[in-house]
Formats: sequence, structure tokens, C-alpha cells
Amino acid sequence: MKMDQKTYSLTDPGSFGKIALILGIIGLAGCAAGYFVDPGRFFHSYLTAFSFWTTLGLGALFFLMLHHLTGATWSIVIRRIPESLMSVLPYMALFFIPIIFGMKELYHWSHPEIVAGDHLLQGKASYLNARFFIIRAVAFFVVWFFLSRILYKNSINQDSGSDGNLTDKLRKISAPGMILFAFTVTYAAFDWLMSMDAHWYSTIFGVYIFAGGLVSALAFFSITVISLQKNKVLETEITSEHYHDLGKLTFAFMIFWAYVAFSQYFLIWYANIPEETIWFDHRYQGGWKYATLLIVFGYFVMPFIILISRGAKRNLTLMRIMAFWLLFMHWLDLYWIIMPNHEHYRAMISWIDIAAMMGVGGIYLWLFWRKFSSNPIVPVGDARLGNSVNTISN
Amino acid sequence: MDNRMVSVAAEEPLIMGNQTFHAVTDTISKIIEGKTPKLWYLAISISGSVALMFFGLIGYLVWQGIGIWGLQIPVAWGWAIVNFVFWVGIGHAGTLISAILFLLRQRWRTSINRFAEAMTIFAVICAGVFPAIHVGRMWVLHWVFPLPNQMSLWPNFRSPLLWDFFAVGTYFTCSFLFWYLGLVPDLATLRDRATNKIKKIIFGILSIGWRGGNRQWKHYELAYLLLAGISTPLVLSVHSVVSTDFSVSILPGWHTTIFPPYFVAGAIFSGFAMVMTLAIITRKIFGLENFITVNHLEKMNKIMLVTGMMVGYAYSCEFFIAWYSGNIYEQFAFINRAFGPYAWAYWIMVTCNVAVPQIFWFKKLRRSVPVMFVATIFINIGMWFERFVIVVTSLSADFLPSSWGYFSPTKYDIGLLIGSFGLFFTLFLLFLRFLPMIAMSEVKGVLPQADPHHHGHDIANRRRDS
Repeated sequence: MKMDQKTYSLTDPGSFGKIALILGIIGLAGCAAGYFVDPGRFFHSYLTAFSFWTTLGLGALFFLMLHHLTGATWSIVIRRIPESLMSVLPYMALFFIPIIFGMKELYHWSHPEIVAGDHLLQGKASYLNARFFIIRAVAFFVVWFFLSRILYKNSINQDSGSDGNLTDKLRKISAPGMILFAFTVTYAAFDWLMSMDAHWYSTIFGVYIFAGGLVSALAFFSITVISLQKNKVLETEITSEHYHDLGKLTFAFMIFWAYVAFSQYFLIWYANIPEETIWFDHRYQGGWKYATLLIVFGYFVMPFIILISRGAKRNLTLMRIMAFWLLFMHWLDLYWIIMPNHEHYRAMISWIDIAAMMGVGGIYLWLFWRKFSSNPIVPVGDARLGNSVNTISN
Repeated sequence: MDNRMVSVAAEEPLIMGNQTFHAVTDTISKIIEGKTPKLWYLAISISGSVALMFFGLIGYLVWQGIGIWGLQIPVAWGWAIVNFVFWVGIGHAGTLISAILFLLRQRWRTSINRFAEAMTIFAVICAGVFPAIHVGRMWVLHWVFPLPNQMSLWPNFRSPLLWDFFAVGTYFTCSFLFWYLGLVPDLATLRDRATNKIKKIIFGILSIGWRGGNRQWKHYELAYLLLAGISTPLVLSVHSVVSTDFSVSILPGWHTTIFPPYFVAGAIFSGFAMVMTLAIITRKIFGLENFITVNHLEKMNKIMLVTGMMVGYAYSCEFFIAWYSGNIYEQFAFINRAFGPYAWAYWIMVTCNVAVPQIFWFKKLRRSVPVMFVATIFINIGMWFERFVIVVTSLSADFLPSSWGYFSPTKYDIGLLIGSFGLFFTLFLLFLRFLPMIAMSEVKGVLPQADPHHHGHDIANRRRDS
């Protein structure tokens, strides 16, 4: 990997994209095999992978709009990473197609004969039906497509000349963008994940999925920056001050995720209404009990203790390990939401899970890298870039 | 790379009027040192009378019992709990400004943090009164403490009312310490400027030996950072615990998982509205327009717009899930809220909290002081009604239709609510008169003159070794 120090574009993007593409193709081939071996399992594994990569992109989209809205300076130098990540979101619409074909496996409300015998599902039928489900999904992707495209395009336009108005314009797009984001993410979470157990409901579920996505996006930024620097790219521009800020936000939103997760669990546990507690009860049966405990300790307790100190956030080796760990935890969290609907007792990872992650992830990362390496890897036209490089963290 | 720092044209200085360090000290200290304005006497005589009425009513309540309120089973919680949640919520803006905005390096907070923090403390005091008088026998209030006793009698640790006690207690303690720590350098300034012995002794004791040495500043800044870190989770936890008063129950309209973050957003929203109301009056009367500039007010308006929409998001989410749940009791609770006997209160709430803040989309309105003043009053009203809607609509139409009824407050309910404002404003007026309402030492830090590179030294040296 090589970067031109004047234009900040990658003259040699390295082999990362190619490797990702190859792994992605192998993964997709594995997915195809998985579909023929065990379609039920395949669709659940696939939905997990799809949700993981989509929420990652959504987390990046949120971070970027927040960056524009608050006029943050420190994050300008790393801005191209979230920009490239969220640019992949529209492609996820293609990856959504298998889910439409797998609806019968994933969502039992899509079986008319089940709905006919279920009083509660009849009440929800005007919302939970195949046609409206697809219309909503299209609407979500249209919103994400326009948001990511317009934000990316204006940012790239800024590279050609220092135009202060574009900073303003990006901010103005982000404000209504946030509102669209909040509603699309919430209803996507309700539709794609919560409705798998169609009797169960929780008002905070959208916030829960959003929080997980943001944590994983922040973790992904750290990993990307560290990897770039390992390849001698942006060595002087990104300092431990930026790592510290990234670490602080990762830490803060990890706690926010835990806060939301705890709110959801605690209120349901305390009120002890069977129709609500059943959801957690399913996730405390058989092997799922260990997955639940691993999430509690691995997604909150352990990272909390490790990441709380200032030194840890400035220790790149540790941050990298923790970032990968948090990504794994976010995957496990989604797996824990999705898979117990299929496997009620056994919480064993299957090769299909890995193939799905590789398939969707490989293509996702390939597209990410293609986007990232096709333009200057820092927003060279932003007037405050110098300020960003010289950020001082607390 | 072009490694130079640029000052972006859009960023106006935080403090206007090109102040010198001395001018900052002078302007703010003179409010305390000078002659008491006549208006202040007038204001405190009004608020003091209302506060006296508050204490009088509490006395009558203790004498007569809580039957003087409009409470009727099943509405066992009425205005007292509404007022409690309202006042605790008000406090949250102070903590957000002092702790979270500090950690996020939002330096504009320096002009408003002192009196926002003071407001937090006074609001928590007002809040604390209501549960205390609601227990009925307030002379045994100390039983909420887990005190060791021969009868092994313990408070119910599973009760959210007890968690409230711990949460609000912690909140008050941390907020007070944070506020006081920030005051120490300013108190020392006042001590040094004191013109008579009594003032010198009082400020001398309060400033706990502050000399402004390098070492002291180093410790001070570390302590400030740590307290900011400790206070940050409190911004979320306190109102989350308050929300559990309702949400751990199984009452439709109360039991919903979004309550904790929804209450927190509402608390920050209402707190900012109150800070704004006070700031707009204070800056006008004491001529502090250069310190609390329109830019500050605009930023606060933006925060209100954001938090107002978070609250709106929660309203809509609750409504949707109530329908989606398929639970007829849930569905009824929300239909009843919007179209039942309390529909007027519900629509006041929606109008004030969701519709009114939308005016802040427009820069002109966001920067117009009269417009925002009116808007903040509406938001204060709306947020009080939010708690009223939650408490009363769910309780008054419970699972047993034979006990349904319409809740009406008595004159004592109304008197105590007004009275709590009297207490709040009295404390606030005393603060304005006797303590520096703007953090002088912090404001000096954001003046351009305080920047060692103000005159264009090598910027690269600024990067700290780490």
C-alpha cells in the first residue's frame, strides 16, 4: 500500500480489496451450499450476517451525520472511513433479496395459515404482511441510498477546492437526515429482527440495534486507522490524540449499548409479564444461556474494565484487540437475537454462519475498499483539516 | 500537508466585546459587590412570599394529612409525583452542560455552566420536597435510609422509590461537589477583592486556601475532569431510575422499555428550557449580553430541538408499539390518552414539546431572543404536562372500570406547585446576589488572549507528547 503525500490518494491500494473479494466469493459459494444442505439454518445465518454489515454501515452513517451536525474538528481526518463505509449501504439492498425469498423460513407471520389461527397475528396483519414488509424495506433502502450518496458526493466535491459552503451544505443535509435515519433504523429493526418473534414487542428495540451498530462502526474505524498506519499510510496525520478520542467514544457508546440492553432486560424481568419474559427465557435455554452470559460479560463488564483507563485508549495493540472483540460481540448479539428462533437449545456455531459472514462481509469490505481507495483518503478540501490533524484530546 | 491551523470564519469569539481579563473579573464581581438593585428586592419579596406559602402549606399538609390533595384511589399518585419528576428533570441540563459538554470539549459552556449547575442544585432541592411530603408521615422519613436497627427492619430494596432516594441523593451530592469545586477559584478572587473584614473571612473560608499556584491548578483540573467523568453517567442514571417508578410496574402506559432513555431526553429538554428562561432574564437585567451571547442561546436552542425530537420519537414509538403489541389494555391506554378525558392535556404536551421546538429549524427564530423566550416557557409547560399525562391518565383508568374517575387537583395541589417555584426562585435570587453567576476563571480561559499562540506562534508545538 502506498500513498501520495501530496494528493493523499492511494497510488497502490494494496491487496486488501482482492483478498476481500476472493473471500467473499468463497463465502457466497459456501452460502449456496448451505442453502441446499439446510435452508432454515442458512436463512438465519444469512440474516445475522446481513444485519451485522448493515448495522455497521448505519453506525457509520450516524457518526458521519453527527460529525457534520456538531461541526466536529478532530474527526475530519478520519472522515473518509465512515463515508466509504456508509456508501456500501445501497448495495445491501441486493443482499436483501435472499431475505425476501427466505421470508417463509424467517418470519412465521408470513404464513397465512398460521395467521389464520393466531388471534394476535391477525391484529398485526395490516402491518406484518409480505407486501408491506417489502415496500418498507424498499423505502429504507431508498432513504439510505439518497443519504449516503448525497453526503458522499458533496464531500468529494469539496476536495477540488476549499469551499466553505459545502461544509454548511453537508450540515444542512445531515439535520433532516438524522430524522430519516432514526425512523428507518427503528422500523428496520422492528421488521427484520423483532418481528421474527412476532408476538413479542419492546419499544426500545430500535435504539438497541442502533446502539450496537454505532459501537461496531467506531470499533471498525479504529481497526482501519491502525491498519493504515501499519502500512505506513497517514503516519503523521493521525496521532494518539485521535485514537484517544475514538477510544473514548467507543467506550462511551459501549456503555450506552449496555444501558439500553439493561433497560430492556430489567424492565421486562421486573414486571414479569409472561408474554414479554418469554423472549429472554428462550435465550436462557440450553446453550443459549452461555451466549447470554458471554454477552453480559464480554460486551460490557470486561471491555468496561479494560477500556476505562487513559492508557488503554492510547495503546494501539490493545485497542485493536478490543475493537475486534467488540465487533465479534456485536455479531454475537445479533446472532443471539436471531438464531434462538431457529435453534431452540443448541447454541453452536455452524460453518454456514461463517460462510454467510465471509460472503456478505467479503463483498462489503471489497466495496468499502474500492470506494475508500478511489478518492483522496482524507478530505483534502476541508478548510479545517489542519485543525483536525492538530487535535488535542483531554 | 498544509499543517496550519485556521480559524474558521464562521466561528465567532465565545465572549464578545474584546474583554480583558480584568474586565471579566470586574463585570462579574461587581454584580455581587455593588449595591443591591431595587428590582432584586422586589423579586425576592415576591418569590420569598411564595416560598413562605409553600412552607405554610407543607405545615398544613403535615397537620391534616395528604387527604387535602385531589388523590383518590386508583389515582394514588397525583401532582406531588408529577412535580417531583418535573423538578428532577429540570436539574439535568446543569449536569449535561457541566459534565458532558466538558468532556466533549464544548468550550462555549463556560458562560452558562455556573448558573446551570446552581439551577440543578435548587431544582433537586425542590424535587426532594415532594416525595418527602408524599410519604404522609414525614417525621419517619429517615426510615428510607438502610439504618441498622434492633428490629432488623430494612427498607424494601426492590422498590424503585428507594432507588429514587439513592439516585437523587447521589445526584445532589455529586452536583453540589462539582459546583463547589468550580466555584473555588472564583471565591478566592472575591476574597482578594473583598473590601471589609467579614467578607474577607467568609470568602476566605469558602475558598479553602486557594492561592492559584501552578500545583493547585494542576490538581484542580484533574479533580474537575474526574468529577465530570463521575457526573456523566449520573445524567443518564438519575432520570432512568426515576422512570423505573413507572416502568417496572405492569400498568399500561407505564410499562414500556423505552422509558429510561425517553425520560433522560425529556429531562435534558426541560432543563435546557429552564436554563434558557433564566439566562434570558438574567443577561438582560445584569447586562451580560457579551458573556451569554446570542450564539450561546442559539446552541442551546439546537439542543432543545434535538432533545424535543427525541421525546417526539418516544411518543410515536410508544403509540406504534401499543398498537403493534395487540394487547387491548395497552391499546386502550394510548387511545385514552389522546382522545379520552385528558385529551386536552395530551395535546398540550404534544404541541409544546414536539410542535413548538420545530421553530428552531429557522436560523432567524433560533437567534431571536423574544421568540425563544416564549418558546422556552411553552416547553416548560409542556414538560410538566408530559408527566401529568403519564401519571394521571394511566392511573385514572386502570383495570377495574368501576373505579374510573376524573382526577381534579385541589387548591393545595396548585398551591404547592406554585410554592415550589417560589422556593426555586428564592434560592436562585440569593445565588445571583451572593455568588458569581458566571465562572470567571473559566471564561478567561476561552478569551483569545488566553491562547498562548494568540500571536501566531508555531502551532505544531501545541501537540502534546503522549
